[in-house]
Amino acid sequence: MTASRRAQELATWQADLARAGYIAEPALVAALLLMLDLGRPLLLEGDAGVGKTEVAKVLAAVRCTRLIRLQCYEGLDAHSAMYEWNYQRQLLAIKLLEHDTRGIAQKEQDIFSERYLLKRPLLEAITCDEPPVLLIDEVDRADEAFEAYLLELLSDFQLSIPELGTVRATSQPLVVVTSNGTRELSDALRRRCLYHYIDYPDHAKELAIVRARAPQAPAALARQIVAFVQGARRLELQKKPGIAETLDWTAALLRLDVVAIDAAAAEPLMDTLGALVKSRDDRAAFTPEVVARLAAAC
Amino acid sequence: MKEPHLILEARALLAADRVAGFPGFLRANGFAVGGADAVPTLRAAQLAGVTEPHVLRWTLQALLCGRCDEWQRFDELFDAWFLPANRWQQPQRHDRHAAPPPVGLQPGRGAQDPDDAEDPDDTRDDARPRDAASSREVLSSTDFRALAAREHTLDIEALMRRFARQLRRIRLRREASARHGRRLDLPGTIRRSLASGGTPFHLAWRDRRRVRPRLVLLIDASRSMAPYSFFYLRLARALGAELGDVHSFIFHTRITAVSQALQDPDPWRAQERLHLLAQGWGGGTRIGESLAQFNREHAARLVHARTAVVVMSDGYDTGDPALLSDALARLRRRARRVVWLNPLCDRPGYAPVCQGMQAALPHLDLLAPGA
Repeated sequence: MTASRRAQELATWQADLARAGYIAEPALVAALLLMLDLGRPLLLEGDAGVGKTEVAKVLAAVRCTRLIRLQCYEGLDAHSAMYEWNYQRQLLAIKLLEHDTRGIAQKEQDIFSERYLLKRPLLEAITCDEPPVLLIDEVDRADEAFEAYLLELLSDFQLSIPELGTVRATSQPLVVVTSNGTRELSDALRRRCLYHYIDYPDHAKELAIVRARAPQAPAALARQIVAFVQGARRLELQKKPGIAETLDWTAALLRLDVVAIDAAAAEPLMDTLGALVKSRDDRAAFTPEVVARLAAAC
Repeated sequence: MKEPHLILEARALLAADRVAGFPGFLRANGFAVGGADAVPTLRAAQLAGVTEPHVLRWTLQALLCGRCDEWQRFDELFDAWFLPANRWQQPQRHDRHAAPPPVGLQPGRGAQDPDDAEDPDDTRDDARPRDAASSREVLSSTDFRALAAREHTLDIEALMRRFARQLRRIRLRREASARHGRRLDLPGTIRRSLASGGTPFHLAWRDRRRVRPRLVLLIDASRSMAPYSFFYLRLARALGAELGDVHSFIFHTRITAVSQALQDPDPWRAQERLHLLAQGWGGGTRIGESLAQFNREHAARLVHARTAVVVMSDGYDTGDPALLSDALARLRRRARRVVWLNPLCDRPGYAPVCQGMQAALPHLDLLAPGA
């Protein structure tokens, strides 16, 4: 029956992702499966450090394809995201062709050929032989104008270069879009995409992640670390520690040969907090008493 | 007796029917789901199979949600629609919130309605103050109705829009092509020179981009501010219409986002929605707590190094001044400018001596008269 087949598929994928080092909740796996079926982009939202970017990386690893990443930033324009002509080479070519006897049209064709085209991530993603994973990271940092442009590409997977003509996608990439929510995304983009919100993990999931990513940490220590971080997230902080911070902190504690979080380890705990909290106010919130209380609760 | 697979098929048909109605149910609950979503929904349900509730839930959640608050409400709406036992509980609850505004709750273009979304939370968080202030007089005194008073509205709004367009832009480090500039845009120049056979007649320039700062308006809507808050709301509405990046909040004992309500193209409906938001609040002003709540829930998302935060309040605060001072200090570190508009400021003989203003003063970039 179809239903159980889907459930099986889901379990297989979850196991595959876990093997690649990503502990995914079933809802995320369902979203990924649907994305493969419908060929729609997947929009991931969530606080910084909960593993949004990682989803794309692990997806590429599981599918054994390339990961093409477009890091968005303010002022990113179409040229640096799609294609650019290599002007320096073109200029050089024009100089060299000055004494060439060929006709103008032919020269022009030569100058605007693919040899002089610099492929940027978006063009590269749709001209691959194998469908790659295209990660559009932190799309909220780019301007709204760019968002509209992106939308156009994502809806029909073709783009036009005036001098060359229309480039059609030879393969449809799997698009993962991430956003930190610093700017409200347009409804049009949201409508186009599947959506998944990644929350901070619960205790069991975070423990599984720490065990998978930092296998050298003893089980008891890993459990304590996770309990500590979960407690820290309940404090009133400007920036709650994400999973990346948990892993950093685990590495830091291992480096200092801490074997258990208790009163004896108070000093290395205080020393390594910089891996966990990243602002002065938050650091000030972690007084020795607070740390002792959190450690005692582990 | 029928064959088992026939029974299954009949059940699948019934289920498909149920699935097809689901997007409409979500839309009625304020989701941005359009008519075009019906087909993908059925397709997704077909792929996921309708007999496995969890798989169907996750699949539809990915497909039909568009933002965080929808994502968080999805589970209970899904249960309400698909699980028969809970079926009647949910609409009832919804009705209770939906009942007071006859027009306000049905945004015609399927627009977002986060204010309604917050309603269940409001009742929970706010149970104490609301019960304490059982008389409704306090609530009705916040007169947002004046927002749409017809006579001067258009004049004032035109004035405000002109003012909004003149707001100074901040110069960024990033460059973009410009008509005049300080740096030659070589690729652009060569591209233009194509028209004249490779001779660059027309130069292209680049210059640093200028953008307007993001504005976050925090409007005090307490009783003492009643004569002014409507004016500020109108200002917020005009600014929001003219500039893209304006985020408005009103507070008295807690803070509520009103940008969506203000942007409603129908002024009457905007007014209805604001009126709704103002209801259920206590009487006093707790500026410190409101700002702390803003810091906690919205600041990380909204306030960055190019944000100007404008607090519009008379500074009469019944809360703890230390809390106000602390909250403003935090806000000050995040934002580019913190401005306080005090409508009482230009009255003869006014000095910012009340506790709230005393606590706030050290953290302000500018205290200005605002009325």
